[in-house]
Amino acid sequence: MTEIKKRIPWVNWVLFFATVVVVFLLGLFASSIVERKAESEYVYKPRVKIRELEPRNSVWGENFPREYQTYLRTKDTSFRSKFNGSAPIDMLAEDPRLVVLWAGYAFSKNYDQSKGHYYAIRDIRETLRTGAPKDPDDGPQPNTCWSCKSPDVPRLMQAKGIAAFYKGKWASLGDEVVNYIGCADCHDPVTMDLQITRPALVEAFKAMGKDITKASHQEMRSLVCAQCHVEYYFDKKRQDSPDVAYLTFPWKYGTTAEAGLKYYTEILFTDFIHQLSRTPVLKAQHPDYELFLTGIHADRGVACADCHMPYIKEGGQKFTSHHIVSPLANIANTCQVCHRESEETLLENVYERQEKIKQIRDLAEVELVKAHVEAKAAWDAGAGEKEMEPVLDNIRIAQWYWDYAAASHGASFHSPLEVSRIIGLSLDKSKESRILLARLLPKLGKTGEVPYPDIATKEKAQQFIGLNMDQLKKEKEEFMKTVVPLWDQKAKERENSWPVVLEK
Amino acid sequence: MNKKLQWLIPPLPWRLPVAILLGIFFGLGILVLYLSKAGSYLSDDPKACVNCHVMNPQYANWAHDAHSRVTTCNDCHVPQTDFFNKYFFKAKDGLKHAYAFTFRLEPQVIIMEKETRPMIGGNCIRCHTETVQKEFLKPVLPLYHNHLEERYCLDCHRFIPHGSVGGLASTPNALIHPKKRNTVAGWIKETNIAISNE
Repeated sequence: MTEIKKRIPWVNWVLFFATVVVVFLLGLFASSIVERKAESEYVYKPRVKIRELEPRNSVWGENFPREYQTYLRTKDTSFRSKFNGSAPIDMLAEDPRLVVLWAGYAFSKNYDQSKGHYYAIRDIRETLRTGAPKDPDDGPQPNTCWSCKSPDVPRLMQAKGIAAFYKGKWASLGDEVVNYIGCADCHDPVTMDLQITRPALVEAFKAMGKDITKASHQEMRSLVCAQCHVEYYFDKKRQDSPDVAYLTFPWKYGTTAEAGLKYYTEILFTDFIHQLSRTPVLKAQHPDYELFLTGIHADRGVACADCHMPYIKEGGQKFTSHHIVSPLANIANTCQVCHRESEETLLENVYERQEKIKQIRDLAEVELVKAHVEAKAAWDAGAGEKEMEPVLDNIRIAQWYWDYAAASHGASFHSPLEVSRIIGLSLDKSKESRILLARLLPKLGKTGEVPYPDIATKEKAQQFIGLNMDQLKKEKEEFMKTVVPLWDQKAKERENSWPVVLEK
Repeated sequence: MNKKLQWLIPPLPWRLPVAILLGIFFGLGILVLYLSKAGSYLSDDPKACVNCHVMNPQYANWAHDAHSRVTTCNDCHVPQTDFFNKYFFKAKDGLKHAYAFTFRLEPQVIIMEKETRPMIGGNCIRCHTETVQKEFLKPVLPLYHNHLEERYCLDCHRFIPHGSVGGLASTPNALIHPKKRNTVAGWIKETNIAISNE
């Protein structure tokens, strides 16, 4: 008690006021943090409210004008690189051998270079592969063919159920799937985070024993592309949805060409029976992501978006270009972000790889055409099923490997080493089948060379396999004139009933 | 010693109010630690640097640059010489940021301060040691190698990795959500298809 008297009063006052100041400042600091947190909610102030599963890209474009404007540039078809680009290229005219290799399959009728996301709906309507259906239950293709074409797809899948969406003929959803690939295919409407909207990729990850929810942001910048740019098939034997062409990726054993072949062989899957050789053929469909994964860029952690959607600056504002196109169209913003070489050097580096792959790909194609034609000659000479089995087995594998490399966009750049390896495997199997045929044909009384068909042009090749192109084109024209306008009309009526709500 | 401690203990009748006041004081302190996510600043996670939106443009620029594959913010902006230096700098810089934040002193366009240049310059060389060796540079850049010691990397490589100077308004749509990320669309999760293996 005596000690208190010893204290000097002003010391306590100083202590008191110092504490007041400290607490006041702490409070000020705390309140400023709270204010900033509230403020950051408004850093991005949307113009309109984007509904969940909103398929209209123009509505998203109201809030993200720069991204939308650049995305609209996928309409531009002026860029052409040495082998590809966004220009319209008739691949069958460029390489008529394709017609023979796909004889018996819709790809022999029509196969064009993909132009850009803007054309997704237009192209699938115009291609001869989808035929000319006259009513909703007509036509050669199932609804599954719409899967990758439009943000209307997740909208319909959510409403109808996944298997129910795939069910039915392609023409039955013609008036529902009308918006070309866009915002809702990759983005969450609220946070704009990258998001998987196609169940096939989720299921494929599960089949591999991987969990797609664990994907990092950098992986997502490739995985949203991998929703479509992958090898797939239509599974019609699912127990929970029989007779439905259920979109499935053959990834159970991994994403390599061998893993796909192993899977398809195990489930006895065949895309079509080859018209000439009667081979049960597997048609590879653009395994872009899979082959990219085997390349050096993927190995170094580069994502699709890094090169196909570079970060750009316009009028002082920076954003991700949504003009998805070959990086060769914009080397300065893509390659040169990491590589210090000149544009010419980099372009040469790419072309050198592509040219070398093209060289062995051409060899592999000629071998395969010969194998098909010689197999037909063997059948014609009276060969038995048993004798032909090992021949067709080799042709089947050779065609799978060749197509796996040929169907993939940009693969000869994405992964030149892996692609040359795969084409090498194809060449080996083609040669193997031709050795067997060379032993078999004389036994059947056929000696001398089986003549290589005159397939110098697309027309000659299509004639060779007996396609009536005039008929197909006429039917398509009729379809475009009569059916498609009705689809657009119905879609317009539906979309006009969806209001665009302005944010306050 | 004991006597000095005794001096701090308030007399019996004062003890209750003093305890309550001290409780308020420390409670407020903990609240500030919580609100400011003080714990996150001990890590090297770049997400800590966008706890508030002031650094959004810098984060977005870095995230779109090749450096984001191999570096965090701290790799360049915090001394990496030793543990003590690193956390001393973090504490010092943190206090400065808290001060600027409280009194709203942060500029629209954030530009590196002169004093941090040597530190950042050193951090460039920390990774790019081979690249700046005279023996290596001589044949490549015969004219410039002589001046290596007189300048920092960033004197010339000014746009690495954030690009040209950009203010708060330069990346309006770079929505940064360090917290939640839904990699699979909500409606897919609601269906009966299996997603994860757990």
